[in-house]
Amino acid sequence: MTGDLLLLSLICLAAGTAVGPRLAGAWLALTLAGASAALGAAILVLYGGAAWEWRSAVSLGGEALHLRLDAVSAMFMALLGVVGGAGAVFAQGYWTDGEHPDSAPRGRLWWDAMLLSMSVVLLSSNGLHFLIAWELFAISSYFLISLERERREARAAGWLFLAASHAGTLCLFAFFAVLAGRNGTWDLGPMQGRAELAPFFWLALAGFGVKAGLFPMHVWLPSAHASAPSHVSALMSGMAINMGVYGIVRFSGWMPAPALAGWAMVGAGACGAVLGIAFALAQNDLKRLLAYCSVENVGVIFMGLGGAMLGAAHGDAPWGRLLLAGALLHVWNHGLCKSLLFLCAGSVLHATGTREMSRLGGLWRAMPWTAALFAMGSVAISGLPPLNGFVSEWLVYLGLFDAVSGRGVLGWAAMPAAVALAGAGALALASFVKAGAVVFLGAARTEAAAPAHECGALMRAPMLALGGACALLALAPAAAWPALARATGAWHPAWADPATPVPLAVLGFVNTALALCLAAAVGALWARVRVNGLRRAPTWDCGYAAPDARMQYTGGSFGRTASDWFSWILLPERVMRRPRGPFPPNTVLFERVPETVLERLVSPVAAGVMRLASGARRLQHGRVQFYIVYLVGGITVLAILALLG
Amino acid sequence: MNTAVSFLELPARLAAWLLLAPLLPGIINRVKAWVAGRRGPPLLQLYYDLARLWRKSVVMSTLASPGFIVGPAVAWVAVAGAALLMPIGAAGGALSFRGDVLLLIYLLALARFATAWAALETGSAFEGMGAAREVSFGVLAEAALIAAVLSLSVQSGSTTLDAMLAPSAWPGAVLLASGLFAVLLAENCRVPFDDPNTHLELTMIHEAMVLDHSGPPLAVVLHGASVKLLLFAVLLSEAALPIGRLAPGAGAAALAGSVLAVTAGIGLVESFMARFAFRRVPLLLTAAFLLCLFALVLAWKGGAQ
Repeated sequence: MTGDLLLLSLICLAAGTAVGPRLAGAWLALTLAGASAALGAAILVLYGGAAWEWRSAVSLGGEALHLRLDAVSAMFMALLGVVGGAGAVFAQGYWTDGEHPDSAPRGRLWWDAMLLSMSVVLLSSNGLHFLIAWELFAISSYFLISLERERREARAAGWLFLAASHAGTLCLFAFFAVLAGRNGTWDLGPMQGRAELAPFFWLALAGFGVKAGLFPMHVWLPSAHASAPSHVSALMSGMAINMGVYGIVRFSGWMPAPALAGWAMVGAGACGAVLGIAFALAQNDLKRLLAYCSVENVGVIFMGLGGAMLGAAHGDAPWGRLLLAGALLHVWNHGLCKSLLFLCAGSVLHATGTREMSRLGGLWRAMPWTAALFAMGSVAISGLPPLNGFVSEWLVYLGLFDAVSGRGVLGWAAMPAAVALAGAGALALASFVKAGAVVFLGAARTEAAAPAHECGALMRAPMLALGGACALLALAPAAAWPALARATGAWHPAWADPATPVPLAVLGFVNTALALCLAAAVGALWARVRVNGLRRAPTWDCGYAAPDARMQYTGGSFGRTASDWFSWILLPERVMRRPRGPFPPNTVLFERVPETVLERLVSPVAAGVMRLASGARRLQHGRVQFYIVYLVGGITVLAILALLG
Repeated sequence: MNTAVSFLELPARLAAWLLLAPLLPGIINRVKAWVAGRRGPPLLQLYYDLARLWRKSVVMSTLASPGFIVGPAVAWVAVAGAALLMPIGAAGGALSFRGDVLLLIYLLALARFATAWAALETGSAFEGMGAAREVSFGVLAEAALIAAVLSLSVQSGSTTLDAMLAPSAWPGAVLLASGLFAVLLAENCRVPFDDPNTHLELTMIHEAMVLDHSGPPLAVVLHGASVKLLLFAVLLSEAALPIGRLAPGAGAAALAGSVLAVTAGIGLVESFMARFAFRRVPLLLTAAFLLCLFALVLAWKGGAQ
């Protein structure tokens, strides 16, 4: 049954790739069928229990096909189905053939190619096939990011993604080649007993960390997510970065890891969570803010994973399992919320044509659905009850608290991590109050916000579906436990107990009760206001007589207090020329937060490499006499070596 | 999960929290009046204010969405829910489960989100300023709170509020109490972080966020603020004193006395201190965070020996 569904899914996605450029309707049907089949197969594995494995005599590249869907990969496969399907529906309303006659057909082709390659990555249990699918996945992501290739910004973002992705893939080539060399086969599977493989985990961490956007390897992420069309951003942020997480979960479960790796992952995760959200707070571009928030959430996930590795290494501590379950649940929660938020951002971009928050404002009147769903997504991604973000952060917190209470040396990892999680949560709250309020509340800041309109049904339906999935995970978190229990069991056999170690059912009850109380209180207050009488008047503003839309707090001023604490890494650039004298010339105010790691660290190093390379190129100039000198010199050196040796 | 909660207990607890809370600002004002040698407002002034506001009509900004009314309601429910989780002496909380302490902290964060969101509905620069300060200082306050509850969790070996607030007096309790007192002053917008008496000042936080609220929503905001103050006073008392270990009667008396003392302490701080300059507020909050962190390290190291 699982195999049939997976086969159906792969066939549908492959057919979708083939017919996508020409037949939009058939493409949507095929994509939805493929995504639902993938989701169905994942649910069968997660709730039915048995992992699915298939070896074939058919060989590809000299290696026999070996596919496997166990609970770990099924967690990711389920998310792939939901986000892939929702984004495809959204694209039909957002990136239509009418508006984008050139890029929409290409977009459909690469969308299915990306879903297909990601499914194959999740399924393949052979290093060679894993690498092939991984490369196809990177290439289809590249074409989706630079879909709007007439825009310079999109081309640059795609190029940066491709370069970063290949730097990571290089590590993975080395990693899989070493595994194949040591194992004598490209076939993959549990190899826990092989302690000599442990050092190679660092290669996997670097290779998959780039794709996951783990700080400071996230340099490609903000521009790629911001410049891609929004449905692509949703798939990238909701699913593609989770492929990197999948790689880490997969191989930390299958092979021994060095003792230091857990510490490094908790440290990088904690730093990434706080700094990622600090960068988010300082952004003025709505989609860039969401992208940096993904860096934060990947940090939280890595905190949980690193902690789980430490827990497993220290006598299978039960808190390690809580951290692993929290991290895996956070993969779902973040994937769902973040794709919802990116779709909302796409709806805003579609309606106003700009991502700059300082040009927007007051959109709730024109786009009530988008505003309400963005508010919901904001509450969820900030980890606030009664929504789903809180459930996974709660699990991670409980794991960290128990780790500290153990009073072992691991407290040095868990204590800073817990404080970092608290700080990151509060900064996320600030970022999302800022994003929601500056875009949707108050008065329109410029003309750009004036002609806004609500998105159509094709765009609204997937947003509602993702919001519904968030609500479901929030109100019935206990329903996710069987899946989490199987996934933690597949990761580490000692952690397969199906009973919940924490009262998830009580938390679900509390979330439900809280949601009902909130609804009742809102209804009661609204009724009371109605009875007493409601009058509309201009904003009071302490009696100021002539309020103006430009007097509102902007995103920059809202985030200033907290982002000033991080100015040592944000390094904000500010150009200001005040009006002076009786006839002031033009005034200037320009603010920008650079991509610090990219511009101050990666770019200078890359520029140095380029200088070296162009220096070396001077050796090759086309003059035959010098080539003969090289030859003679080379032969002389070889001759000397031969004489000496 | 505490299954012994009878159906009457929940409404009784809720009524106690909601009815007693508005007393605290009255006590603070009486203390301040006493120190200044004034007669001061009646003890029950806030009750009168709430009753009057509840009957008034509402003026709402033309820019505001329904979120302007939703925000105060959400914040109020969140704070009331957090109060219900709070154990009262030996009687415990209305609902007690593993990890409830995190729910309490995040319910307070939900209240902050809703209040800040509603403040920004009006597009007023004042309210933007208040909301920006609230969410920024909230970062430090939340880090301090997590460090504080983590120290209690380490000391008691539990993540359930009932058990966490039960340990007998330990050396870190002094550090913890000072840190929590500073967090209480910041989170409830009291001097030296904020001045609840000023209304048209550029230096305020909470009052600036609710400038445009009126009528029943304003009543809900003010009442929610008083419940939050009582919640923090109870948390501070129980974190510092072993109230959960006393017999129910003595425990209740000790809790009431301690909450009164904390309230009077707030009044005295407000009488003898001026509000800090704004750039020094983060420093003070960082100091509070460090106090809680020292308490945490003390608890962590203390048990290892």
